Amino acid sequence: MSASQSFDAIDLSIMWDRLISITDEGAAALVRTSFSTLVREGFDLSVLIFDLRGRIIAQSAKCIPVFIGTASTTLRHMLDKFPQEALDSGDVVVSNDPVFGTGHMYDIAVMRPIYLKGVLVGYAMSISHLPDIGGMGFSASATEIYHEGLRLPVVKLVKAGEVNQDFMELIRLNVRVPDQVIGDIYANISCTSVVTRQVADFMKTYNCTSLEPLANAILQQSEEALRQALLAWPDGQHTGEVQVEAGEETRRLVCTVKKQGDCLSIDFTGTEGCVRFGSNVPICYTRSMALYAAKCLTTPTIPNNEGSSSLIEVSAPVGCILNAVPPAPSAGRHAIGHFVVPLVFDTVSKILPDHVAADSGLIDFLTLQGHLPDGSGMSVTYCAAGGFGALQGLDGRQTTPGSSNMGTTPVEVFEALSGLRVEEKVLRPNSGGDGEFRGGAGQTVSMRNMTGRDVTVHAMSNRTRFPAKGLFGGGNGAPRAHLIDGKETSGQGSFRLPPNSVLTLKQAGGGGYGSPKARPADAVRQDIEDGFLSVEHARDIYGYDGAA
Amino acid sequence: MARLGIDIGGTFTDFALIRPDGTTAVHKRLTTPTDPARAVLEGVAAIIQENDLSIDDITEIVHGTTLVTNALIERRGARVGMLVTDGFRDTFDIGQEQRYDLYDLRLQYADPLVPRALRVEIGERTWHDGSILTPLNPAEVEQKVADLVEQQGVEAIAICYLHSYANPDHENKSREIVAKRFPNLFACTSSDVFPYAREFERWTTTCANAYSQPLVDAYLKRLEEGLEELGFHGQLVIISSSGGLTTPETARRFPVRLLESGPAAGVLMSARIGRDLGLDNLLSFDLGGTTAKGALVKKGLPYKTYEFEAARTYKHKSGSGLQLRIPVIDMCEIGSGGGSIVSIDSLNRLRVGPRSASSEPGPACYGRGGEDATLTDANLTLGYLDQKGFLGGRMTLDAGAAEAAIGRYAKPLNLDLVRAAWGAHDVANEDISRAFRVHATERGFDYRRAVMTASGGGGPLHAARIARKLMVPKVIFPAGAGVMSAFGMLVGAMAFETVRSNRVKVDDLNATRFDAAMAPVETAAMAYLLENDLPRSQITLDRRLDMRYCGQGYDIEIRLPNGVSSADLVAQLRSLFETAYREVFETLLDLPLEIVSWKVEAKGPDPDFPIIGGEVSARAASTESLKGHRKAYFALAGGMIDCPVYDRYMLRAGDVVTGPCLVEENESTVLLDVGDTASIHPSGHLMAEIGQA
Repeated sequence: MSASQSFDAIDLSIMWDRLISITDEGAAALVRTSFSTLVREGFDLSVLIFDLRGRIIAQSAKCIPVFIGTASTTLRHMLDKFPQEALDSGDVVVSNDPVFGTGHMYDIAVMRPIYLKGVLVGYAMSISHLPDIGGMGFSASATEIYHEGLRLPVVKLVKAGEVNQDFMELIRLNVRVPDQVIGDIYANISCTSVVTRQVADFMKTYNCTSLEPLANAILQQSEEALRQALLAWPDGQHTGEVQVEAGEETRRLVCTVKKQGDCLSIDFTGTEGCVRFGSNVPICYTRSMALYAAKCLTTPTIPNNEGSSSLIEVSAPVGCILNAVPPAPSAGRHAIGHFVVPLVFDTVSKILPDHVAADSGLIDFLTLQGHLPDGSGMSVTYCAAGGFGALQGLDGRQTTPGSSNMGTTPVEVFEALSGLRVEEKVLRPNSGGDGEFRGGAGQTVSMRNMTGRDVTVHAMSNRTRFPAKGLFGGGNGAPRAHLIDGKETSGQGSFRLPPNSVLTLKQAGGGGYGSPKARPADAVRQDIEDGFLSVEHARDIYGYDGAA
Repeated sequence: MARLGIDIGGTFTDFALIRPDGTTAVHKRLTTPTDPARAVLEGVAAIIQENDLSIDDITEIVHGTTLVTNALIERRGARVGMLVTDGFRDTFDIGQEQRYDLYDLRLQYADPLVPRALRVEIGERTWHDGSILTPLNPAEVEQKVADLVEQQGVEAIAICYLHSYANPDHENKSREIVAKRFPNLFACTSSDVFPYAREFERWTTTCANAYSQPLVDAYLKRLEEGLEELGFHGQLVIISSSGGLTTPETARRFPVRLLESGPAAGVLMSARIGRDLGLDNLLSFDLGGTTAKGALVKKGLPYKTYEFEAARTYKHKSGSGLQLRIPVIDMCEIGSGGGSIVSIDSLNRLRVGPRSASSEPGPACYGRGGEDATLTDANLTLGYLDQKGFLGGRMTLDAGAAEAAIGRYAKPLNLDLVRAAWGAHDVANEDISRAFRVHATERGFDYRRAVMTASGGGGPLHAARIARKLMVPKVIFPAGAGVMSAFGMLVGAMAFETVRSNRVKVDDLNATRFDAAMAPVETAAMAYLLENDLPRSQITLDRRLDMRYCGQGYDIEIRLPNGVSSADLVAQLRSLFETAYREVFETLLDLPLEIVSWKVEAKGPDPDFPIIGGEVSARAASTESLKGHRKAYFALAGGMIDCPVYDRYMLRAGDVVTGPCLVEENESTVLLDVGDTASIHPSGHLMAEIGQA
């Protein structure tokens, strides 16, 4: 194949799909062999293929937004330290540096160069959320990055097939669940080996000596789809802002979206500064979330690659809370980072009112640590979703994650893992924002500590003080709340849950869309039956005059 | 004795007969959706008459039906009441809390089968170790069930409590209370339907079971009575999703296990062909009226799984349907069938399916009022189907209607009719190839070294070209490919499968503990066969364990060898696990192991099925077998050509045909492209070597 080779539509789609299915297969292997609950239940992972120029050509379909657009930066830093000539077949390079990774040290990036007949042709990478990385544990309570665990430099963990055991020992000594962490690192190592082998096979099958012509075609087609989508938007420039909780303080995030021709810029100038709390957001994470929001609105069906973000520029002033740099701590960067998506939607709603969703209730994120009754250590991450924002013509769905996409752990699995008894997990009536199209309802989850000892609760929540806003006359969703034995605690920080005490998590509702007066009476009646509205609320807000 | 297999599909009901002398015969007629038993009973009468048999000659009827699948899709099931652990009434609404498409903001999910008002909470609680935290109050259960029946008019009850897989006591007691008060009410428990941890999926499956119980019961009753009227005195057995045969009684108890039973039977037939011909890797491909399906068979055994999504509700997307857990043959399904409607998407790309014209009104060329162009219309326009000889001449196709339908989408794109029809044919092949590629790759199955079997009304028409895209070197076109599922019913054995969640650390196991955990699962699996008078000596057990490293969330399935003592098995567990783990993931870990679930399939003997073998010498097909020529489109041969058409019934063992050509039998047509060569095997199968592009 020559560099200028062109592909007909069918060839291109077949080869493109084949590369994506290789990454999907790598992701499936990683999920199956992983110990981290977040990887298994929440697909907190990504698998990618790059060409020799370091451009993403294919990315596993099942992933969460944080992995959009971060990996090429990670690879660039890896190649700065180990350029092509310093790499060898059988090498594996790793890093978890939040600055050029995904924004926190839990995510490890594992890269393996791809060789075809002894010639370097590209790179395979997998990224996954480790069960632990030492430091304070998965929480946002740190005041400096040094509290948050082990920051690994870019390093060759495997050199020509030989694992660097000294380095493995260093990791092993610094984490709480060493077998699981090392197991997950090996899961990544074998995942990338599957991917490199398959890419080499693929190239042999199609008689390629280089991935570049194919990469050019794929990226070009993706970029063209994005261009067409952007050209269909009216030009315009708008600014939006939102208040968010940042530990005990609050911060204002400001976003300016400018769309001109086939260019879109999303800039966060005006956003306030970092806090001494682990919810600061490195720029890589901010960028991913902004690109994700833009993708939902432009090319939701085009697979992810370097071309699908090429016309979008994301920027934030260095040092603001959306462009945090060390020593600002960032383990819980998602607590604030998740606001980027609704903020972009809200700002774009002034350009494209019918395309965006109202604010979502977002996801609650907890780590529980303690001991099971048999004395063994317990550390479990638990997610619970708030309601989704309403859209033109569609109610927001109840208990559906917004911004990110962590699934929940089944009650039957969670109870066995944590030793906590879930006493109820029910819809939270009247929590969705009112509107012609109703915001999604949140839920109430109560869990009793049955372990016989204290359990530490690390909370990394949001929307406790600033609810999901409605759009175009729609009401706000109910805010999130955490209670211990009925007494409200902060949504961010670390708390003690004594034996037999009950932790209650009230999940935020999504914002409504349009005036509630315009909602048909039939729909309101159904909402009462479905447990979304109480009769009193339906009467007060919607003017419902039916029977209880 | 003669045996009869009957498969109800979305469009056709197929019949396969094995005569007393071992020879076979087939019959096919349109499905009667409003009363599916009608086509079955009429077809039984017809096939008996066509073959000069009496109903007394039929000793066994094996039956598969899409009744449950359709009931779930069309939401025609029973009004179900659900008893659920206090605090968990909203489990179905809250769902799995995950979006199945990250970028689509307008996702929709399947509505629960039981509306919220019919879910009532019961104050009871079992803990994950099986201990009871809150005892059941029988009076409360009785009162609430009475309300559901008397006030709400429910026809079936689904009993769904937390951790019932660990201790079914509360569910069983509740069922007894229901049975005592309402002896004729349908009731099922989640621990009986599928005793597996993960409440959302287990309860969804249980409700789907209750939802289809009254319907299946009424259907089977109508069938049994109708067969009795015909004078049938033999045995009626029903085929399940995993390919095992069950009695009507078991089918009534677990109707959810009848989902996808027809396609499962097709795969069984593939597997049987593979075993008989000594083929290790098979890709079973079926193209019917509404969908195409693929399944993998290794060393004669179809891949199985326990996850099945029924009745997708949003853009045919994975995640938008009902998440069920039943033992099922692992199939990938794609909405490209003969009735799939051809359309143009927003980017001006040609699309085939997933919308289907099904049997009513059917493809435009059926002349039953269908106006949308379907894949079948495209195939007719391309000359692949004989407009007069369809179904052996029992149905004529309207070529004018097909061309008019294709013209409707061809015109705006400025395409001529043949080009537009070819586009639809090729897009369907492309979509199916892609789905198979991903399905096989995800399971570590090298399709390029596999042999494809083609079945279903449209499978033989598309198989050679799909094989070429996949670089599959060989395709087998079985005799009677168009009704292969119906034949597949006749190769299955009586079987029942049970799965139980029970977490046990391997280090804590010894022979006694192993037996204590395994014995109840074996007993439960065998009970259904023993109850149906199969002697213990004829039952074989296939025992499998889901195992993992302690702490990992996903399991690897290990098959336990038979004839090994429990003590030896316990000693071998680690090496069995490591062998399987290494095969998939290449690395091993130095960690303790645990068993997560215990699976037993109890199986009766394989029935006799005539397969003729032997060696023959190759020769060119005789002139008598050449029916004539027809204009048909072959891109590789330069366009519309005079294509030879062979009569499959006139071809003899050893006859060789080369592509481009068509080989017709009543229920299906084989298409061979330029470069393909095929010969008739002594068994009657047409074995093709596929040319490479």
